[in-house]
Amino acid sequence: MTFDASTALYVIEIVIGGLLVGVGVHFVPVGGAPAAMAQATGVGTGTVQLAAGSGLTGLLSAGLMMSVTDNILLIVISGAVGAMIMIDATMVVGNWSYIYGVGVPPASGKVDYDPITKEPQPPYVSPGTVGHGVPTVSYVSGTIGGFLGGAGGSLIYYALMNINHNPGLSGMFAIGIFVVNAVLASYNIQGTIEGFHDPKFKRVPAAFQACLAASLVIGIIAVLISGGA
Amino acid sequence: MSVAAGGGESKLDKKKLMMYGIGGGLVGIYLAGILNSALDTNYFSFLAGLGVIAAIVMGAEAVRMVCAYGIGTGVPSIGLMAMGMGLVAAMFGLSIGGIAGPIIGLVVAVAIGYFAGAMANKIIKMNIPVMEETLAMLAAAGAITLIGLSVLVAGRIDYELIMSSVINTGYIGVLFIAGSLAILHPFNANLGPDETQDRTLVHSISTGALAMIAGGIASILIIGSAGVLTVLIAAVVWLYAFRWYFQLVKRDSAGVVGTGLLPKGEM
Repeated sequence: MTFDASTALYVIEIVIGGLLVGVGVHFVPVGGAPAAMAQATGVGTGTVQLAAGSGLTGLLSAGLMMSVTDNILLIVISGAVGAMIMIDATMVVGNWSYIYGVGVPPASGKVDYDPITKEPQPPYVSPGTVGHGVPTVSYVSGTIGGFLGGAGGSLIYYALMNINHNPGLSGMFAIGIFVVNAVLASYNIQGTIEGFHDPKFKRVPAAFQACLAASLVIGIIAVLISGGA
Repeated sequence: MSVAAGGGESKLDKKKLMMYGIGGGLVGIYLAGILNSALDTNYFSFLAGLGVIAAIVMGAEAVRMVCAYGIGTGVPSIGLMAMGMGLVAAMFGLSIGGIAGPIIGLVVAVAIGYFAGAMANKIIKMNIPVMEETLAMLAAAGAITLIGLSVLVAGRIDYELIMSSVINTGYIGVLFIAGSLAILHPFNANLGPDETQDRTLVHSISTGALAMIAGGIASILIIGSAGVLTVLIAAVVWLYAFRWYFQLVKRDSAGVVGTGLLPKGEM
Protein backbone atom coordinates (compact mmCIF):
# COMPACT_ATOMS: atom_id res chain seq x y z
CA MET A 1 0.00 0.00 0.00
CA THR A 2 1.08 3.57 -0.52
CA PHE A 3 2.27 5.74 2.31
CA ASP A 4 0.15 8.89 2.19
CA ALA A 5 -1.28 11.45 4.61
CA SER A 6 -4.03 9.17 5.88
CA THR A 7 -1.49 6.42 6.58
CA ALA A 8 0.54 8.88 8.62
CA LEU A 9 -2.64 9.73 10.53
CA TYR A 10 -3.18 6.03 11.33
CA VAL A 11 0.40 5.73 12.57
CA ILE A 12 -0.23 8.73 14.83
CA GLU A 13 -3.42 7.12 16.13
CA ILE A 14 -1.55 3.90 16.87
CA VAL A 15 1.19 5.85 18.69
CA ILE A 16 -1.37 7.77 20.76
CA GLY A 17 -3.10 4.48 21.54
CA GLY A 18 0.18 2.93 22.64
CA LEU A 19 0.94 5.92 24.84
CA LEU A 20 -2.51 5.76 26.46
CA VAL A 21 -1.90 2.09 27.24
CA GLY A 22 1.58 2.78 28.61
CA VAL A 23 0.40 5.63 30.83
CA GLY A 24 -2.81 3.79 31.80
CA VAL A 25 -0.81 0.92 33.27
CA HIS A 26 0.65 3.32 35.83
CA PHE A 27 -2.82 4.03 37.21
CA VAL A 28 -3.82 0.42 37.75
CA PRO A 29 -3.16 -0.85 41.31
CA VAL A 30 -0.96 -3.84 40.50
CA GLY A 31 0.14 -5.69 43.59
CA GLY A 32 1.88 -8.67 42.05
CA ALA A 33 2.83 -11.69 44.14
CA PRO A 34 2.99 -9.82 47.50
CA ALA A 35 -0.58 -8.61 47.04
CA ALA A 36 -1.70 -12.16 46.31
CA MET A 37 -0.64 -12.89 49.90
CA ALA A 38 -2.34 -9.66 51.11
CA GLN A 39 1.04 -8.13 51.96
CA ALA A 40 0.93 -5.24 49.52
CA THR A 41 -1.77 -2.91 48.25
CA GLY A 42 -3.40 -3.70 44.93
CA VAL A 43 -4.86 -6.62 43.05
CA GLY A 44 -2.77 -9.74 43.49
CA THR A 45 -1.61 -10.38 39.96
CA GLY A 46 0.79 -8.98 37.39
CA THR A 47 0.46 -5.89 35.26
CA VAL A 48 0.11 -7.77 32.04
CA GLN A 49 -2.71 -9.93 33.32
CA LEU A 50 -4.66 -6.93 34.61
CA ALA A 51 -3.92 -4.79 31.57
CA ALA A 52 -4.70 -7.62 29.18
CA GLY A 53 -7.92 -8.52 31.02
CA SER A 54 -9.30 -5.02 30.96
CA GLY A 55 -7.78 -4.08 27.61
CA LEU A 56 -9.20 -7.09 25.81
CA THR A 57 -12.63 -6.46 27.27
CA GLY A 58 -12.30 -2.90 25.99
CA LEU A 59 -11.34 -4.27 22.60
CA LEU A 60 -14.42 -6.48 22.57
CA SER A 61 -16.77 -3.60 23.34
CA ALA A 62 -14.96 -1.38 20.82
CA GLY A 63 -15.30 -4.09 18.19
CA LEU A 64 -18.99 -4.43 18.95
CA MET A 65 -19.47 -0.68 18.61
CA MET A 66 -17.43 -0.64 15.42
CA SER A 67 -19.78 -3.17 13.85
CA VAL A 68 -22.61 -0.63 14.01
CA THR A 69 -20.86 2.71 13.56
CA ASP A 70 -17.57 4.18 12.39
CA ASN A 71 -17.72 7.20 14.65
CA ILE A 72 -14.27 7.24 16.27
CA LEU A 73 -15.49 8.93 19.45
CA LEU A 74 -18.19 6.33 20.12
CA ILE A 75 -15.80 3.46 19.43
CA VAL A 76 -13.04 4.79 21.68
CA ILE A 77 -15.42 5.66 24.52
CA SER A 78 -17.14 2.30 24.32
CA GLY A 79 -13.75 0.58 24.48
CA ALA A 80 -12.78 2.72 27.46
CA VAL A 81 -16.02 1.97 29.30
CA GLY A 82 -15.66 -1.76 28.63
CA ALA A 83 -12.17 -1.73 30.12
CA MET A 84 -13.33 0.35 33.11
CA ILE A 85 -16.12 -2.09 33.89
CA MET A 86 -13.73 -5.03 33.70
CA ILE A 87 -11.02 -3.52 35.90
CA ASP A 88 -13.66 -2.29 38.39
CA ALA A 89 -15.19 -5.74 38.60
CA THR A 90 -11.73 -7.21 39.17
CA MET A 91 -10.97 -4.73 41.95
CA VAL A 92 -14.36 -5.19 43.66
CA VAL A 93 -14.11 -8.96 43.68
CA GLY A 94 -10.47 -8.70 44.75
CA ASN A 95 -11.55 -6.48 47.65
CA TRP A 96 -14.25 -8.97 48.66
CA SER A 97 -11.57 -11.66 48.86
CA TYR A 98 -9.28 -9.44 50.91
CA ILE A 99 -11.99 -8.14 53.26
CA TYR A 100 -14.16 -11.23 53.78
CA GLY A 101 -11.70 -13.95 52.90
CA VAL A 102 -8.32 -12.83 54.24
CA GLY A 103 -9.86 -10.48 56.80
CA VAL A 104 -7.85 -7.31 56.16
CA PRO A 105 -9.17 -3.77 55.64
CA PRO A 106 -8.13 -2.10 52.37
CA ALA A 107 -5.28 0.26 53.25
CA SER A 108 -2.47 1.99 51.43
CA GLY A 109 1.09 1.58 52.64
CA LYS A 110 2.46 4.46 50.57
CA VAL A 111 0.52 7.46 51.94
CA ASP A 112 -0.52 8.51 55.46
CA TYR A 113 -3.91 9.82 54.39
CA ASP A 114 -6.04 8.59 51.53
CA PRO A 115 -5.98 11.60 49.15
CA ILE A 116 -9.68 11.14 48.33
CA THR A 117 -11.41 10.11 51.57
CA LYS A 118 -8.79 11.78 53.84
CA GLU A 119 -8.94 8.69 56.06
CA PRO A 120 -5.71 7.87 57.91
CA GLN A 121 -4.04 4.74 56.53
CA PRO A 122 -1.25 3.60 58.90
CA PRO A 123 -3.56 2.37 61.71
CA TYR A 124 -5.12 -0.09 59.29
CA VAL A 125 -1.91 -1.44 57.76
CA SER A 126 -1.02 -4.78 59.35
CA PRO A 127 2.49 -4.91 60.81
CA GLY A 128 5.00 -6.43 58.42
CA THR A 129 3.02 -5.55 55.31
CA VAL A 130 3.00 -2.54 53.01
CA GLY A 131 -0.77 -2.27 52.86
CA HIS A 132 -3.43 -4.60 51.52
CA GLY A 133 -6.63 -4.62 49.52
CA VAL A 134 -7.72 -1.89 47.14
CA PRO A 135 -8.35 1.38 49.07
CA THR A 136 -10.53 4.13 47.61
CA VAL A 137 -7.72 6.08 46.02
CA SER A 138 -6.34 3.00 44.30
CA TYR A 139 -9.82 2.10 43.14
CA VAL A 140 -10.37 5.50 41.55
CA SER A 141 -6.89 5.37 40.07
CA GLY A 142 -7.53 1.91 38.64
CA THR A 143 -10.73 3.13 37.03
CA ILE A 144 -8.80 5.94 35.34
CA GLY A 145 -6.22 3.37 34.24
CA GLY A 146 -8.93 1.20 32.73
CA PHE A 147 -10.30 4.22 30.88
CA LEU A 148 -6.89 5.11 29.40
CA GLY A 149 -5.98 1.52 28.55
CA GLY A 150 -9.33 0.74 26.95
CA ALA A 151 -9.31 4.00 24.99
CA GLY A 152 -5.76 3.29 23.81
CA GLY A 153 -6.52 -0.27 22.76
CA SER A 154 -9.65 0.71 20.85
CA LEU A 155 -7.84 3.60 19.15
CA ILE A 156 -5.22 1.13 17.89
CA TYR A 157 -7.99 -1.21 16.78
CA TYR A 158 -9.84 1.59 15.01
CA ALA A 159 -6.74 2.70 13.10
CA LEU A 160 -5.89 -0.86 12.03
CA MET A 161 -9.46 -1.64 10.98
CA ASN A 162 -9.39 1.36 8.67
CA ILE A 163 -6.25 0.02 7.03
CA ASN A 164 -6.87 -3.68 6.60
CA HIS A 165 -10.64 -4.04 7.19
CA ASN A 166 -10.06 -7.39 8.86
CA PRO A 167 -11.38 -7.65 12.43
CA GLY A 168 -9.33 -10.75 13.25
CA LEU A 169 -6.04 -9.29 12.11
CA SER A 170 -6.75 -5.87 13.63
CA GLY A 171 -7.79 -7.40 16.93
CA MET A 172 -4.70 -9.57 17.22
CA PHE A 173 -2.47 -6.71 16.18
CA ALA A 174 -4.08 -4.43 18.73
CA ILE A 175 -3.36 -7.11 21.35
CA GLY A 176 0.25 -7.35 20.17
CA ILE A 177 0.84 -3.60 20.35
CA PHE A 178 -1.07 -3.50 23.63
CA VAL A 179 1.10 -6.11 25.39
CA VAL A 180 4.37 -4.58 24.19
CA ASN A 181 3.39 -1.20 25.65
CA ALA A 182 1.92 -2.70 28.79
CA VAL A 183 5.07 -4.73 29.47
CA LEU A 184 7.39 -1.78 28.83
CA ALA A 185 5.31 0.27 31.25
CA SER A 186 5.30 -2.49 33.83
CA TYR A 187 9.10 -2.68 33.66
CA ASN A 188 9.04 1.01 34.45
CA ILE A 189 7.11 0.45 37.69
CA GLN A 190 9.09 -2.72 38.42
CA GLY A 191 6.00 -4.81 38.65
CA THR A 192 3.95 -3.12 41.37
CA ILE A 193 2.27 0.24 41.91
CA GLU A 194 -0.62 1.48 44.06
CA GLY A 195 -2.01 4.15 41.76
CA PHE A 196 -1.42 7.82 41.01
CA HIS A 197 -0.55 8.60 44.65
CA ASP A 198 2.35 6.12 44.59
CA PRO A 199 5.83 7.73 44.44
CA LYS A 200 6.63 5.39 41.53
CA PHE A 201 4.03 7.27 39.48
CA LYS A 202 6.62 10.01 38.97
CA ARG A 203 8.41 7.67 36.58
CA VAL A 204 5.69 8.08 33.95
CA PRO A 205 7.88 10.24 31.66
CA ALA A 206 10.32 7.37 31.13
CA ALA A 207 7.54 5.01 30.11
CA PHE A 208 6.09 7.77 27.94
CA GLN A 209 9.32 8.02 25.95
CA ALA A 210 9.83 4.26 25.70
CA CYS A 211 6.23 3.61 24.62
CA LEU A 212 6.39 6.51 22.15
CA ALA A 213 9.43 5.04 20.44
CA ALA A 214 8.22 1.43 20.53
CA SER A 215 4.71 2.28 19.30
CA LEU A 216 6.12 4.38 16.47
CA VAL A 217 8.26 1.52 15.17
CA ILE A 218 5.54 -1.10 15.53
CA GLY A 219 2.90 1.30 14.16
CA ILE A 220 4.85 1.94 10.97
CA ILE A 221 5.23 -1.81 10.46
CA ALA A 222 1.59 -2.46 11.29
CA VAL A 223 0.13 0.00 8.76
CA LEU A 224 2.10 -1.65 5.94
CA ILE A 225 0.26 -4.94 6.35
CA SER A 226 -2.63 -5.59 4.03
CA GLY A 227 -5.78 -7.34 5.14
CA GLY A 228 -5.55 -10.08 2.54
CA ALA A 229 -8.53 -11.46 0.68
CA MET B 1 10.52 -10.28 42.87
CA SER B 2 13.76 -8.38 42.79
CA VAL B 3 15.59 -11.47 43.92
CA ALA B 4 17.55 -13.04 41.10
CA ALA B 5 15.57 -16.10 40.19
CA GLY B 6 18.07 -17.87 38.00
CA GLY B 7 20.18 -20.75 39.02
CA GLY B 8 22.52 -23.25 37.47
CA GLU B 9 25.21 -22.81 34.90
CA SER B 10 24.54 -23.05 31.20
CA LYS B 11 25.96 -26.22 29.75
CA LEU B 12 24.60 -25.47 26.31
CA ASP B 13 25.99 -22.36 24.72
CA LYS B 14 23.37 -19.76 23.81
CA LYS B 15 24.88 -19.24 20.35
CA LYS B 16 24.42 -22.92 19.60
CA LEU B 17 20.85 -22.77 20.87
CA MET B 18 20.14 -19.71 18.73
CA MET B 19 21.50 -21.53 15.69
CA TYR B 20 19.38 -24.57 16.43
CA GLY B 21 16.31 -22.44 17.15
CA ILE B 22 16.46 -20.13 14.17
CA GLY B 23 17.91 -22.72 11.78
CA GLY B 24 15.64 -25.52 12.91
CA GLY B 25 12.62 -23.26 12.89
CA LEU B 26 13.19 -21.96 9.38
CA VAL B 27 14.13 -25.39 8.00
CA GLY B 28 10.97 -26.90 9.49
CA ILE B 29 8.73 -24.16 8.15
CA TYR B 30 10.26 -24.22 4.68
CA LEU B 31 10.35 -28.01 4.43
CA ALA B 32 6.69 -28.14 5.43
CA GLY B 33 5.67 -25.41 3.01
CA ILE B 34 7.75 -26.57 0.04
CA LEU B 35 7.11 -30.31 0.40
CA ASN B 36 3.41 -29.66 0.85
CA SER B 37 3.07 -27.52 -2.24
CA ALA B 38 5.47 -29.59 -4.37
CA LEU B 39 3.67 -32.87 -3.65
CA ASP B 40 0.25 -31.20 -3.40
CA THR B 41 -0.49 -32.69 0.00
CA ASN B 42 -0.76 -31.46 3.59
CA TYR B 43 0.90 -34.39 5.31
CA PHE B 44 4.22 -32.59 5.80
CA SER B 45 2.64 -29.83 7.91
CA PHE B 46 3.96 -31.48 11.07
CA LEU B 47 7.50 -30.45 10.04
CA ALA B 48 6.54 -26.82 10.73
CA GLY B 49 5.51 -27.94 14.21
CA LEU B 50 8.90 -29.54 14.82
CA GLY B 51 10.51 -26.27 13.70
CA VAL B 52 8.31 -24.44 16.20
CA ILE B 53 9.58 -26.67 19.01
CA ALA B 54 13.17 -25.73 18.11
CA ALA B 55 12.26 -22.04 18.25
CA ILE B 56 10.44 -22.50 21.55
CA VAL B 57 13.53 -24.07 23.11
CA MET B 58 15.49 -20.99 22.02
CA GLY B 59 12.78 -18.72 23.45
CA ALA B 60 12.79 -20.59 26.76
CA GLU B 61 16.56 -20.13 26.98
CA ALA B 62 16.12 -16.39 26.36
CA VAL B 63 13.48 -16.18 29.11
CA ARG B 64 15.90 -18.04 31.36
CA MET B 65 18.72 -15.62 30.62
CA VAL B 66 16.77 -12.41 31.16
CA CYS B 67 14.61 -13.51 34.07
CA ALA B 68 17.72 -14.59 35.98
CA TYR B 69 18.23 -10.87 36.56
CA GLY B 70 14.88 -10.46 38.29
CA ILE B 71 12.80 -8.23 36.05
CA GLY B 72 10.25 -7.49 38.77
CA THR B 73 7.14 -8.17 36.71
CA GLY B 74 7.05 -11.93 36.74
CA VAL B 75 8.04 -14.29 33.98
CA PRO B 76 4.72 -14.31 32.07
CA SER B 77 5.04 -10.66 31.06
CA ILE B 78 8.12 -11.29 28.98
CA GLY B 79 6.60 -14.30 27.24
CA LEU B 80 3.55 -12.28 26.22
CA MET B 81 5.76 -9.43 25.08
CA ALA B 82 7.76 -11.87 22.94
CA MET B 83 4.60 -13.02 21.23
CA GLY B 84 3.33 -9.46 20.83
CA MET B 85 6.49 -8.45 19.01
CA GLY B 86 6.62 -11.75 17.15
CA LEU B 87 3.03 -11.40 15.95
CA VAL B 88 3.58 -7.98 14.42
CA ALA B 89 6.80 -9.13 12.73
CA ALA B 90 5.37 -12.47 11.58
CA MET B 91 2.31 -10.98 9.90
CA PHE B 92 4.40 -8.22 8.35
CA GLY B 93 6.84 -10.77 6.89
CA LEU B 94 4.11 -13.05 5.58
CA SER B 95 2.11 -10.20 4.07
CA ILE B 96 4.91 -8.58 2.10
CA GLY B 97 7.36 -11.43 1.64
CA GLY B 98 5.53 -14.25 -0.10
CA ILE B 99 7.75 -17.31 0.10
CA ALA B 100 10.52 -15.25 1.73
CA GLY B 101 7.99 -14.20 4.40
CA PRO B 102 9.35 -16.26 7.29
CA ILE B 103 12.87 -14.84 6.82
CA ILE B 104 11.64 -11.25 6.53
CA GLY B 105 9.44 -11.79 9.59
CA LEU B 106 12.42 -13.13 11.50
CA VAL B 107 14.63 -10.17 10.58
CA VAL B 108 11.93 -7.66 11.50
CA ALA B 109 11.33 -9.49 14.78
CA VAL B 110 15.00 -9.32 15.72
CA ALA B 111 15.01 -5.59 14.92
CA ILE B 112 11.86 -4.88 16.98
CA GLY B 113 13.14 -6.99 19.86
CA TYR B 114 16.52 -5.31 19.91
CA PHE B 115 14.86 -1.91 19.78
CA ALA B 116 12.44 -2.71 22.61
CA GLY B 117 15.36 -4.00 24.67
CA ALA B 118 17.29 -0.80 24.02
CA MET B 119 14.22 1.21 25.13
CA ALA B 120 13.99 -0.82 28.33
CA ASN B 121 17.67 -0.37 29.09
CA LYS B 122 18.31 3.19 27.93
CA ILE B 123 15.06 4.99 28.77
CA ILE B 124 13.47 2.91 31.53
CA LYS B 125 16.99 2.20 32.86
CA MET B 126 16.53 -1.45 33.73
CA ASN B 127 20.29 -1.90 33.24
CA ILE B 128 20.12 -5.56 32.38
CA PRO B 129 23.16 -6.23 30.19
CA VAL B 130 21.52 -9.02 28.17
CA MET B 131 18.21 -7.17 27.66
CA GLU B 132 18.65 -6.20 23.98
CA GLU B 133 20.03 -9.58 23.01
CA THR B 134 17.40 -11.62 24.83
CA LEU B 135 14.45 -9.54 23.65
CA ALA B 136 15.73 -9.95 20.09
CA MET B 137 15.96 -13.70 20.65
CA LEU B 138 12.51 -13.76 22.21
CA ALA B 139 10.91 -11.78 19.41
CA ALA B 140 12.58 -14.10 16.89
CA ALA B 141 11.28 -17.13 18.78
CA GLY B 142 7.81 -15.56 18.91
CA ALA B 143 7.80 -14.81 15.19
CA ILE B 144 8.99 -18.31 14.20
CA THR B 145 6.48 -19.86 16.58
CA LEU B 146 3.56 -17.92 15.11
CA ILE B 147 4.64 -18.39 11.49
CA GLY B 148 5.32 -22.08 12.11
CA LEU B 149 2.02 -22.73 13.85
CA SER B 150 0.19 -20.77 11.13
CA VAL B 151 1.86 -22.85 8.41
CA LEU B 152 1.06 -25.95 10.44
CA VAL B 153 -2.63 -25.03 10.46
CA ALA B 154 -2.87 -23.71 6.90
CA GLY B 155 -0.50 -26.21 5.26
CA ARG B 156 1.17 -23.64 2.99
CA ILE B 157 3.39 -20.55 3.30
CA ASP B 158 0.72 -18.38 1.75
CA TYR B 159 -0.53 -15.17 3.31
CA GLU B 160 -4.02 -15.30 1.77
CA LEU B 161 -4.50 -18.87 2.91
CA ILE B 162 -3.17 -18.10 6.40
CA MET B 163 -5.51 -15.10 6.59
CA SER B 164 -8.56 -17.16 5.74
CA SER B 165 -7.73 -20.29 7.72
CA VAL B 166 -5.85 -18.96 10.78
CA ILE B 167 -6.77 -15.30 11.32
CA ASN B 168 -10.38 -15.15 10.16
CA THR B 169 -11.26 -18.40 11.92
CA GLY B 170 -9.87 -17.03 15.19
CA TYR B 171 -7.35 -19.86 15.62
CA ILE B 172 -4.67 -17.17 15.84
CA GLY B 173 -5.89 -16.48 19.39
CA VAL B 174 -5.28 -20.10 20.39
CA LEU B 175 -1.89 -20.15 18.68
CA PHE B 176 -0.91 -16.85 20.33
CA ILE B 177 -1.64 -18.07 23.85
CA ALA B 178 -0.40 -21.64 23.33
CA GLY B 179 2.85 -20.32 21.86
CA SER B 180 3.45 -17.74 24.57
CA LEU B 181 2.72 -20.27 27.32
CA ALA B 182 5.13 -22.71 25.70
CA ILE B 183 7.88 -20.07 25.79
CA LEU B 184 7.24 -18.62 29.26
CA HIS B 185 6.11 -21.66 31.22
CA PRO B 186 9.33 -23.73 31.35
CA PHE B 187 11.35 -21.14 33.26
CA ASN B 188 8.33 -20.07 35.29
CA ALA B 189 7.88 -23.65 36.47
CA ASN B 190 11.56 -24.44 37.05
CA LEU B 191 12.96 -21.18 38.44
CA GLY B 192 14.70 -21.03 41.75
CA PRO B 193 18.20 -21.48 43.11
CA ASP B 194 18.27 -25.12 41.96
CA GLU B 195 17.22 -24.35 38.38
CA THR B 196 19.22 -26.31 35.81
CA GLN B 197 19.43 -25.48 32.14
CA ASP B 198 18.80 -28.96 30.78
CA ARG B 199 15.70 -29.44 32.93
CA THR B 200 14.21 -26.11 31.82
CA LEU B 201 14.98 -26.73 28.16
CA VAL B 202 13.68 -30.30 28.16
CA HIS B 203 10.54 -28.92 29.75
CA SER B 204 10.30 -26.42 26.89
CA ILE B 205 10.34 -29.32 24.39
CA SER B 206 7.28 -30.75 26.12
CA THR B 207 5.44 -27.40 26.25
CA GLY B 208 6.36 -26.86 22.59
CA ALA B 209 4.81 -30.22 21.78
CA LEU B 210 1.66 -29.12 23.60
CA ALA B 211 1.52 -25.97 21.47
CA MET B 212 1.95 -28.21 18.44
CA ILE B 213 -0.96 -30.38 19.62
CA ALA B 214 -3.13 -27.24 19.95
CA GLY B 215 -2.16 -26.19 16.42
CA GLY B 216 -2.76 -29.72 15.16
CA ILE B 217 -6.26 -29.84 16.60
CA ALA B 218 -7.01 -26.47 15.00
CA SER B 219 -5.66 -27.76 11.68
CA ILE B 220 -7.92 -30.81 11.57
CA LEU B 221 -10.80 -28.57 10.49
CA ILE B 222 -8.63 -26.91 7.82
CA ILE B 223 -6.48 -29.66 6.31
CA GLY B 224 -8.30 -32.76 7.53
CA SER B 225 -6.48 -35.99 8.25
CA ALA B 226 -3.04 -34.36 7.88
CA GLY B 227 -3.93 -32.53 11.08
CA VAL B 228 -4.47 -35.85 12.84
CA LEU B 229 -0.93 -36.87 11.84
CA THR B 230 0.40 -33.61 13.36
CA VAL B 231 -1.44 -34.29 16.61
CA LEU B 232 -0.14 -37.87 16.79
CA ILE B 233 3.48 -36.86 16.16
CA ALA B 234 3.20 -34.03 18.68
CA ALA B 235 1.75 -36.44 21.24
CA VAL B 236 4.69 -38.79 20.78
CA VAL B 237 7.14 -35.89 21.16
CA TRP B 238 5.31 -34.71 24.26
CA LEU B 239 5.31 -38.16 25.84
CA TYR B 240 9.03 -38.59 25.19
CA ALA B 241 9.95 -35.08 26.37
CA PHE B 242 7.77 -35.25 29.46
CA ARG B 243 9.24 -38.60 30.55
CA TRP B 244 12.71 -37.15 30.01
CA TYR B 245 11.71 -34.07 32.00
CA PHE B 246 10.38 -36.19 34.83
CA GLN B 247 13.68 -38.09 34.97
CA LEU B 248 15.53 -34.79 35.27
CA VAL B 249 13.15 -33.66 38.01
CA LYS B 250 13.94 -36.84 39.91
CA ARG B 251 17.66 -36.29 39.30
CA ASP B 252 17.55 -32.70 40.63
CA SER B 253 15.24 -33.23 43.59
CA ALA B 254 16.34 -34.39 47.01
CA GLY B 255 13.77 -37.14 46.90
CA VAL B 256 10.48 -38.04 45.23
CA VAL B 257 8.16 -39.83 47.66
CA GLY B 258 4.45 -40.39 47.83
CA THR B 259 3.08 -38.80 50.99
CA GLY B 260 -0.49 -40.02 50.66
CA LEU B 261 -3.49 -37.99 51.75
CA LEU B 262 -3.79 -36.23 55.09
CA PRO B 263 -5.12 -38.58 57.78
CA LYS B 264 -8.77 -38.00 58.66
CA GLY B 265 -9.48 -35.76 61.61
CA GLU B 266 -6.31 -33.70 61.37
CA MET B 267 -7.58 -31.14 58.85
